[in-house]
Amino acid sequence: MEAPGILHGTCLGDLEWEPSSELWFAHGIPGFENLRRMVPVEIPAQRPLVYLQSAETPGLCFLALPVTTIHPDFEVRLSADDFQALELDPSTDPVPGPDILCLALLGPSESGIRTNLAAPVIISLHTMRGLQLIPLAGPLYWHLGEGRTWERSCL
Amino acid sequence: MGEIVFVVRRRVGERILIADDIEIEIVEISKTRVKLGVRAPREVPVVRAETVPVAVENRAASAWASSQAASAPAQLMKLLHNLQDNSTQTVACVSD
Repeated sequence: MEAPGILHGTCLGDLEWEPSSELWFAHGIPGFENLRRMVPVEIPAQRPLVYLQSAETPGLCFLALPVTTIHPDFEVRLSADDFQALELDPSTDPVPGPDILCLALLGPSESGIRTNLAAPVIISLHTMRGLQLIPLAGPLYWHLGEGRTWERSCL
Repeated sequence: MGEIVFVVRRRVGERILIADDIEIEIVEISKTRVKLGVRAPREVPVVRAETVPVAVENRAASAWASSQAASAPAQLMKLLHNLQDNSTQTVACVSD
């Protein structure tokens, strides 16, 4: 087993991490196609917030939430290509939680925080492979503003 | 300057050339899908069209997370705390 390393990130500062927790994105994610190695970080006091910190670029990180935090009835549909990229057995039906983690990347909006639930990041907890689903039908925005609840957003 | 649309029928294994250094090959044709292979110089970005808006979102999300790392999680945790007090999920469509 590899010894823990120190990750230098601008979001979280210096961070001790286990190499076994590293995620591999074979094709990066849109906008960051060269992003391959990511480390998910949970801070107990900030759960369920998840930081996705690049293991290669200190200034690159994302804030994310499990999609069911936003939409409890969210269902993920993986294509054959997705199964292949995640190195999952296509005859299985991976279950969010024990098998896969579905994260919604958080971004800014004019009056709060916004996420596109049509483009979640999917992580296989068995193979530690990740990808971002790309919607063909357009975005599915949810917005967290002063209304204190996540709401489906038109824009 | 006007654009031209080049329409051509191709079979598996046949190719299309764009300028001197970009080549598109028909790799596989099924009932509903075509698999293409694109050979291009490394510095030429080749992406699926539908990834472009997601790329814009991802760049904004990363810049936001990095620039507000100190304050945004605190704001978010405050909002999440409020959410725990209000379990109702609103599904109305609102303007952003």
